[in-house]
Amino acid sequence: MKPRVAFFDFTGCEGCQLEVLNFNLEIVDLIGAVDIVEFREASSDHSDDYDIAFIEGSQTTDRDVERVQKIREKAKILVALGACSCTGGVNALKNRFSMEENLKVVYGDSAKLYSTIPTRPTSAYVKVDVQIHGCPPNRNEVISLVKCLLTGKKFEQCHNPVCVECKLAENICAFERGEFCLGPITRGGCNAVCVTGGRKCWGCRALVDEPNVNSEKEILKKYGLTMDDMMLQFKLFNGALEVSK
Amino acid sequence: MQNRVISRKDLASFVDDLIKTKSAGEVIGIKAQGNKFNFGPLASAAELRLDYDISLLPPKKYFFPQTETVLKYEVGKTPKVEAVAAEKPLCIIGVHPFDIRGLLLFDAVYGGKEPDPNYFLKRNKAIIIGVDCLSPNPKSFAASMGTNITEEGFDLMLTDLGGDYFVTVGTNKGHNLINKAKTREAGAPDLEKRDKVRKEAEKKYQVSLKMKKEEIPALLDATWESKLFKDRSETCFSCGSCVMVCPTCVCFDVQDEMALSLKGGERYRRWDGCMLTEFASVASGENFREHKEQRFRHRMYRKGKYLVERYKYLGCVGCGRCASACLAEIASPAETYNLLKEAK
Amino acid sequence: MVMQLTAKQSIHLPRTAELIRVEKLSDREKVFEFKFDDGKELGQKPGQFVEVSIFGVGEAPISVTSSPTHKGSFELAVRATGGVTNKLHTLDKGAKVGIRGPYGNGFPLDTLKGKDILFVAGGIGLFPLRSLINYVMDKRSDFGEVNTLFGCRSPQERLFIGQLAEWDKSKDMCFLETVDRVPDDEWKGNVGVITTLFPKISFDPKKTYAIVVGPPIMYRFVIAECLKKGLADDHIIMSLERRMKCGVGKCGHCQINGLYCCQEGPVFTYAQVKSLKEAV
Repeated sequence: MKPRVAFFDFTGCEGCQLEVLNFNLEIVDLIGAVDIVEFREASSDHSDDYDIAFIEGSQTTDRDVERVQKIREKAKILVALGACSCTGGVNALKNRFSMEENLKVVYGDSAKLYSTIPTRPTSAYVKVDVQIHGCPPNRNEVISLVKCLLTGKKFEQCHNPVCVECKLAENICAFERGEFCLGPITRGGCNAVCVTGGRKCWGCRALVDEPNVNSEKEILKKYGLTMDDMMLQFKLFNGALEVSK
Repeated sequence: MQNRVISRKDLASFVDDLIKTKSAGEVIGIKAQGNKFNFGPLASAAELRLDYDISLLPPKKYFFPQTETVLKYEVGKTPKVEAVAAEKPLCIIGVHPFDIRGLLLFDAVYGGKEPDPNYFLKRNKAIIIGVDCLSPNPKSFAASMGTNITEEGFDLMLTDLGGDYFVTVGTNKGHNLINKAKTREAGAPDLEKRDKVRKEAEKKYQVSLKMKKEEIPALLDATWESKLFKDRSETCFSCGSCVMVCPTCVCFDVQDEMALSLKGGERYRRWDGCMLTEFASVASGENFREHKEQRFRHRMYRKGKYLVERYKYLGCVGCGRCASACLAEIASPAETYNLLKEAK
Repeated sequence: MVMQLTAKQSIHLPRTAELIRVEKLSDREKVFEFKFDDGKELGQKPGQFVEVSIFGVGEAPISVTSSPTHKGSFELAVRATGGVTNKLHTLDKGAKVGIRGPYGNGFPLDTLKGKDILFVAGGIGLFPLRSLINYVMDKRSDFGEVNTLFGCRSPQERLFIGQLAEWDKSKDMCFLETVDRVPDDEWKGNVGVITTLFPKISFDPKKTYAIVVGPPIMYRFVIAECLKKGLADDHIIMSLERRMKCGVGKCGHCQINGLYCCQEGPVFTYAQVKSLKEAV
C-alpha cells in the first residue's frame, strides 16, 4: 500500500507547499508513489488517516499547539517542513516584542479578541522525526526524503556548511563582494541558491552541527560590522533559537 | 621540438579558429567572472584573460567533475547495473604551471594499479595549453614550491613576452596544433627573453616558504605535538572552502540517488574533503578525526608529507586558492609551515 | 558522450550476488551468506573486506567472515548500524546485492604459517577474525599451538554461539571467553574485560603471533598485555576500522596518517601502528 501523506499548514506563508508543488514533472512521480490525503494548496480532500505528516509553519497559538499534538498522535512520521516549523523562522521576529504589543499592532482595537504565544519550533511541542530546513525548503531535499521514506533508507541532513556547495557552484564569496554572509555557519543542502543568485546567505537553514560562531564574530570585525549586525541578520530566520551574544 | 613565437593577433586567430572548427575539441579558457577569473567554455578569443592570477576552481573540474555519475542501475528481482563515464575532448587554454603540477599529482593518484577510467577518459583526450603566471595572486607561493614553472604536463605553454607570446612546445600533439597557426621559429634571443620574463615573475610572489620545500616532511615529522595546530585551527569553520578550491584535493564521497519511480537510480561521486566534520567518521558513529585541530593537522600533513611520500609529488602546489578562500585566514600551508619552523 | 564501462575498467562496478542464507546472531547482528550470480568464487584472503552495494541505498565496507577454505559462497556478518547495513538486515533469502572486492591486504598467512597463534577478539571484532580462525582450523597442521580469547559486553552479545561451543570443545585450540558484565545469574563463565583472560593462558612469545581485532578502546589494553607477555611489536597484528568508501586508494576517507586502510590495511602490525599517531 502506498504511504499516505498529509501536509498541514500552521503560521507561515505556505511557500513550502508551493515549493512542493513546484516539482514540475517529479510531482507526477511523487503522486504515483504516495497518496496525498491532505494538501490545502493543491487539493480539497481531507483525511485523518495518514502515515507521514508534513508540518509547515510554526505554532503561534495554544490552539496550534493542541492541533500539532493531535497530528503527532496519528502520524507515524512527522516532518518539520521549512524554516518556520524547524526553527520558528521569520515568525519568531515577534518574540522581540511583548505578545500584547504584537496583538495591538496587528489587530488594533480588536486585539482582545485574539491570543498569541511566542514562536517556538515545532520540536518544542512534539517529537519531530525529520527536519527539512529552509525558506523555502530545497525541493530536491523534500524529494530525497520522500524516497528515503519509501525505500526505508535513513534520511541524512547535510552536515556541511553552505560554503561547500557555494564553492562547488563556483561562486565568488559573498564576503568578497562586501556582503556579510552566514554561509560558514549555516547548514547546507540548498546548493547555495542565494549566493548563486547573487545574494548572500541569511541562515534560513539554521546552524550547522559544529558552528564556529566565535569565528564568524571575528570576521565581522574584519569587515567593519558589529555583533548587532550579525544578530539582526541571524535572527531573521532563527529568532526562536537561543544564540549567546 | 621547435618552440615558436606568436603575435597577440595571431594567437587570437588561432584560438578563434580552434573554437570555430572544434578540431581540438571543445575550447575551454580562462575568463573573467566578476572581479575574479574562472575556466569556462570560450565563445571567442577576446574572452581569454591570460593575465589572470588564479581561477576560482582549478581545471581539475574538467576531469574530476564536482559531481559525476559512475553507475546506473535498475532495481528489482534481478538488478541491472552498468558503470558509466562521461567523456568529451577538451582543449583547455590558460592553465598555469602550478595547476598543471596539480594535474600531474591527480594522474598519479587516479592512476596506479587500479586506474580510474572516469578520470582518464577525460584527461587523456584533453589538450592543455598552459600560460606562465606573470601576475601571481598575493597569497600564492608557487615559486617556493617550484611550481611556478613546469617542464612537463602541457602540450603548449605560452609566455607573454610583452608584444608576442613565446610558445614552448611540449608534445607532438602541441606541435601539430601550433603548426596550424601563423608563427615564427623561436630563436635564442626569444628563449632568453622568455626565461627573463619568468625570472621577473618569480620575484613578484609575496608569500614564500622560509625553508626549502624538500624540508617540509622532516619539519612535520618533528612537530606533530605542536600546539600551533590547535591554536591555528581555533577559528576554523570546518566549512571546507580550502579543500573545495584545491587543485590537489582528490577526495570524494559516493552516494546513491534513487529515481522517484523507485525503479532505478544512479550512484554518483562528489568532491569531499578532510576538513569537513564527517569525513573520517564510520557507520558506528566513531569519528577518527573528531576535532577541528586533528582535521587541520591532517590537511597540513597530507599536503606536506603524506602525498610526497606516496606519489613523489608534494600535495601543495602553492597556488594560494585555499588562502584566498579561507575567511579565517588559516588555510595557507606556507604560513603554517613557516610558523612551525619558527616555533621549533 | 557517456561511455559504458566494463567491470574491468570501472572502479565502481560491483558484481551481483544472491543472498542464499540469513541467520540472526544477536539483536543487532546477522550473518549473510552470498553466492555470485556468475558462479565465481570471491577469492578472498582471511582479513580482506568487500564493498556491499544495496542499489538505491549505497555501499558499505564489510569484512568477510568466512574462510576461503569454504568454497562456493562467502559470508558477511553485519551489525545494523548505518544506511546500508540496516537495509541489509531487512533482506530475505533470494535478494540481490552488489559486491566489489575483495580489497585490502588481509592477514599475513605466509608469516603465520608454522607459528603459534593467539587470537584476541572483542565483540564484533570476531567477524573479521573468524575468517582466519576458521582458516587455521581447516589447515590445522600448518600452524602450531592456538589460543583464542573472546570477550563481549554481555552474554546476550555473544556471537556465533554454536561455533564458540565447538572451539570450546575442540582439542585443536585452547578457547577462553569472558563477558564484561552479567545482568543475571545464568552466565556461569568468566566475567571481566578481555585482558583478565591473559593470566589464564601461556604461550611462547618467540613463536607466537597475536592477532587482535576489536573496538578502538580494546586495542590499547590488549596491546599492553601482549607486550607484557613478551611479544615483539611485529608479532602483534591487528585489523583496523575506517570508512573505506572506494576500496582502491582514491577517495581518501580511510587514511590513517599517510597510509590507506584499504590498501596497506586493514591489517597492520603493532610495529607499523606505533609510528602512526592516528591509528589507535
